[in-house]
Amino acid sequence: MTLLRMYHCPNSLNRDVLKREFSWEFICRGKTVKHNRKYLDPIFLSKLANMDLVARCAVEGFFSGLHPSPFHGFSVEYSDHREYHLGDELKFVDWKVFGRSDKLYIKQFQQETNTTAYILLDTSKSMSFAGDGLVRKIDYASFLAAALSYLMLSQSDSTSLVLFAEKVIKNIPPRSKRTHLNTILAALQYNRPEGRTNLAGVLHTIAETTKRRGLIILISDLLDDEEDIYKGLAHLKFLKHDVIVFHTMDHQELNLDYEGLIQFEDLESKAKIRAFPQSLRDGYRMRVAEFLDDIEKTTGKSNIDYCLLDTSKPLARALIAYLAKRKRMM
Amino acid sequence: MSFIQWIFLFGGFAVVGPVIAHLLAKPRFRRLPFTMLRFLYTGQIESRSRRNLRDLLILLLRCVIIVLIAMLFARPMLYTKPKPQQTRPVYSLGLDNSISMAYTDGTDSYFDKLKDSAIDYIRSAKTDALFNICALASGDWSQGLSKEQALAEVKALKIETGSANVNDFISSLNRVSRSEHLDDEVSVLVLSDFTPNILKQFVDAEKPTVVDKMDYKLIISPEPVNNAAIIDAHVIGIIDGKLTANVTVANYGRVEQNRQLTARTGENKSAPVDINLFAQQRRTSQIQVRVDTAGPERFFLPVELSLSAGDGLKEDDTFYMGVSSPGHKNVNVLLAGNGADEMFLLKTVMDTISRKSSYDTLQIKQILVDDFALSDLKWADVVICSAVAEQLAYFASNIAGFIKAGGRFICFVKETATTEAARQLWQRDVLAALPGKCIHERTYMQPNPCDNRAFGVDNIAARALSNYRIDKILLKGYLECQQHPDSKCLWQFQNGLGFVYLKRLGVGVSILVNTSVDDSLGSLTKSNASVAFGRYLLGKDSQIGEYCFARNEQVMLPLSERQTSFAAQKQSWVQTCNGIKRRAAVADSFLLISDPGGTGWIKTLSKPTMWAGINLPEGETDMTKPVASELADIMNRVFPTGTERTVSAVEVLNNRKRTPIWKYFAWMIILLLLAEPAVANRLKR
Repeated sequence: MTLLRMYHCPNSLNRDVLKREFSWEFICRGKTVKHNRKYLDPIFLSKLANMDLVARCAVEGFFSGLHPSPFHGFSVEYSDHREYHLGDELKFVDWKVFGRSDKLYIKQFQQETNTTAYILLDTSKSMSFAGDGLVRKIDYASFLAAALSYLMLSQSDSTSLVLFAEKVIKNIPPRSKRTHLNTILAALQYNRPEGRTNLAGVLHTIAETTKRRGLIILISDLLDDEEDIYKGLAHLKFLKHDVIVFHTMDHQELNLDYEGLIQFEDLESKAKIRAFPQSLRDGYRMRVAEFLDDIEKTTGKSNIDYCLLDTSKPLARALIAYLAKRKRMM
Repeated sequence: MSFIQWIFLFGGFAVVGPVIAHLLAKPRFRRLPFTMLRFLYTGQIESRSRRNLRDLLILLLRCVIIVLIAMLFARPMLYTKPKPQQTRPVYSLGLDNSISMAYTDGTDSYFDKLKDSAIDYIRSAKTDALFNICALASGDWSQGLSKEQALAEVKALKIETGSANVNDFISSLNRVSRSEHLDDEVSVLVLSDFTPNILKQFVDAEKPTVVDKMDYKLIISPEPVNNAAIIDAHVIGIIDGKLTANVTVANYGRVEQNRQLTARTGENKSAPVDINLFAQQRRTSQIQVRVDTAGPERFFLPVELSLSAGDGLKEDDTFYMGVSSPGHKNVNVLLAGNGADEMFLLKTVMDTISRKSSYDTLQIKQILVDDFALSDLKWADVVICSAVAEQLAYFASNIAGFIKAGGRFICFVKETATTEAARQLWQRDVLAALPGKCIHERTYMQPNPCDNRAFGVDNIAARALSNYRIDKILLKGYLECQQHPDSKCLWQFQNGLGFVYLKRLGVGVSILVNTSVDDSLGSLTKSNASVAFGRYLLGKDSQIGEYCFARNEQVMLPLSERQTSFAAQKQSWVQTCNGIKRRAAVADSFLLISDPGGTGWIKTLSKPTMWAGINLPEGETDMTKPVASELADIMNRVFPTGTERTVSAVEVLNNRKRTPIWKYFAWMIILLLLAEPAVANRLKR
C-alpha cells in the first residue's frame, strides 16, 4: 500500500460514480482496495480510439481507488558536506554554512538515476487473434504498453518501445520527456500486426543494441521455439537487464472452448486443421498447461518475472506485476 | 424363421435413406483463425481416423436399426421342429357312459361290464403306453395318462344322464393322431352298447380317422333286452278339473311289456293305466289326473308320468312334464266389423281355435263396429276390429285404458281407413302404426317373422305359419304405415314394409295388421294358414302350455308381461335338476336355462313357481342290438387302419413349434438405439 501511495490519484474523474458503476476489488496487504474496473477492462479500452486516453484511463483508473497522496517523485536527497574544490559548481555551495563558519562547503546529494525501460511488443500476425472476437491480443498488449509507458514517463523513467515480428519493425529510443509519450502512443495506435514471430532473434538483437542496462518488458504470445526464447531471455539476463515477460494469451487459446466442427487456420503459417474441438479439448489443455508450466519454471530459474495475461481479464494484474518489479529495482 | 406380416419387410428398404445421406452429406464446419495449431495436431490425427471409423459404425448401426424395426413389424416367428421322440403306444379309449349303459340284465349293468373291459385292456397294455380317455356322454377328455392314471380314471367314471356325443370323440382323436402323436403308434378302443342313436352318429361321421390299430367291443347282454320307456307326452286339456294327457310308451326291447302307467301332480295321483306292448312296439295311451286349479290366474303344474317297475333300465320309466294353464277363465273375444260377411272368415277361425282343447273356452261375440259401445269393451278380453272405424275414435281413451289394463287390441287396416280416427288413436298411443295411403302393388310376405322370440304373440304359431309357406301368398296391395316409435315390426313384406306391428301399452298389447285392400281381412284369413294366423294373433296367454325338454335342449320358459318386467329388474334364480340354484338369463319374454343339470325338474324360485320337465331324448334308451357285420363295417370305415396317416403341409407346419421372436428384435432395437447416441456423442466430444 505504501508503494501505491507514491502515485497521485487524479481528481478529474468522478470517483463516486466510477466506484458505484465499475468498481472491482483486490486484496493488497490485507486491505481491500477498490479499483474502477471500467478503465482497466480491455473491452472498454478497445472502444477508445485515442491511445493516450487509453493509457490515462488504464493508469488513473487503476489508482482511482487509492487515497489521494502527493506525488513525490524521485528527487535528489541530501547526503553529506565536503570542502569546496576548484571547479565545483557554485550552486551547490552551502551558503548558510559559509555564513556560520566562513568556509566553503559543498552540499553532497545522493544521485538516484531513473531507469530505462524497454517495452518489447510482439506485433506478429498471431497477435491479431481474438478468440471471442472482442479484444485482439495486439490490442490488449498495446493497452498494456501504453499504460506502462504512461506510468514510466510519469516517473521520469526513460521509456523505449520496440515493435517486432520476424525482426524489429520499429524502435523508438528511450526518452524520459513527457512528450515522448505521444511518440510511443502514436506508434502503438498505428501499428498493424504482420509477419511471423522470430522472438529469439529479436531478443538477441535487442540485447546487442541496448547500451544501458535497464528494465526489459516483453509483451508477446511467445509462439516461437521455446528453447530459442529461453536463449534470448538468458542473453538479456546476462547483460544484467531486469526482465518482465507479459505472456499475452487469449481465453480460447488457453481453454479451447469451441463447439462443433471447425477448420482451424493458422494465422502465421496458414496451416489448416479440421476437427471437433470437443474431442481435442482435454489433450489440448494438457499440452498448453505443460507449455505454460515450462515457461514459468524456466523464467523463474532465470530470475525473470513471468506474468500470464488472459486478454479477457483486466489490465490490473499486469500493472501490479510491473509495480512490484519496479519496487524491487529501487 | 418366417414372418406373419411379411409386407412390412419392404420397410427395410428405408436403409437407403441413411446410406444416401451418408454419401451425400458433407461435414459442415466453420473456418476459424487460430494460433496454437501445434497443440491441436496430435489429437487431430487421432480424431480424423477415428471419426471415419465411427461414421461408418453409426451408419451401420442406423441401417441395422431400420432393418430390425421392419422385421419387428413383420412379426418374425421361428419354427423349430420338436425333438424326435421315441415311438410309443398311445391308446385312445372311447367309453360310453350314456344312460343306456345303466341297463342291467339281472347280474351286472352294462356300465360295470364296460369298466371291467376297459381295465383289462389298460392292464394288458405296455408299461410306457400313454392313454387318452374320452367319456362319450360327459365329453370329458383326459389325455396323456399313464397306466395307473388311466386305471384310476376309468374307475372314477360315472354314468351321465345325457346321450353320447361321438363327434367330439372322433374330432379329438383325429387331432391327436395327426398332430400330437404323429410319430406314435395310435390305437383306438370304443366300448359301447352301440344303440341306434350312437351308431347313427358313427355313420354320420364326416371323415375317417386313420389309426394304427382299432378295436371295439359291443357291451350287450346275451339275454333279450327288457326295456320300455315313456318317450313323449302331450296335454289334451283340462276339463272339469281333470288334466288329460296322451302318453306314448315304447318297448325298446325284445321282452313283452305288461306295465302300469300312472300320472301324479302334487298329492293327486291318477288311476293306473295298463300298458301291454309287444317287442319293438309303441303305443299312445290317455291318462287323466285331477288338478287343483288355483283360480282364474295362470298356474303351473309338475306332472310326473311313470311306469311301474319291471325292466332293466328304470331311468327312462319316468317322464317329467310342466303344464301351464291360463286358469278357469273364459277368454272373451269381441269381433267388430262393418258387416257379418266381413268378419265371417275371422269368426270361423276363432271358432276353430276355441274347439282346440289346449285352449280354454273362447267366448266370441260379433258386433258391427258402428255399434261399438263401452259395455263391449268392458266385457271383452280381446278386441278384433276389421278396420280403423270412425266409431273407435270416440272411444280412443277407453281403448287405451282397456289395453293398459291387460287387454289385447287387434286392428286390421283396409284401404278405406278413416284417417282422422286413426290419427286420434295414434295420438292416444293405441295404434302401433299410423296407416297412410294405399299402394296397389302386388307383394308377398317374408317367409319368417322378424323375431322368433317376439313378445305378445304365439311364436310356435309363427313357425306353423312359416310351414304353410305364406311367402307364396300373393297380396294385392298394402297401406304405407308409419311405425310408432315404441312399437315393433314383427313381420314384414318382402319389400321391407311392415305387415304386423305390435305395441305394448301398460300390461296389454296393441296389434296392427296391415292386411290388404280386399274385403276379406286379407288373403291370410282365406288361406290354409288362417287358424295358425289366428293363434299367432291371440298369443299364448289363453293356451295350455306344456314344458318338457330333452336333456340336450335349451330350456325356455315363457314369462308373462308382469314377470318379464319383474325379471328384468331383479335376478331370476332357478333350481336345476341336480338341486343347484342358478341364475337364469332373461331374453325378451323368456327365461333361458342353458344347463339343466340332468333329468328331472327345473323350477323357478320366484313366485309363481314355473316348472319344466327335463327328459331323455327320444330313442336314447333304444336298446336294439346292432348287427355285428354292419357294426364292423361302420367302425372300419370310421377308423381305418394300415393306411399311412397323411398330414398336410399346414398340419406339419402346425406341428412344428412356433416361437415368436419379436421380443428379441425389440430388445436388440432398444440396445442399438441406446448405443447409437453413445457412439455419436463420443465422436463429437
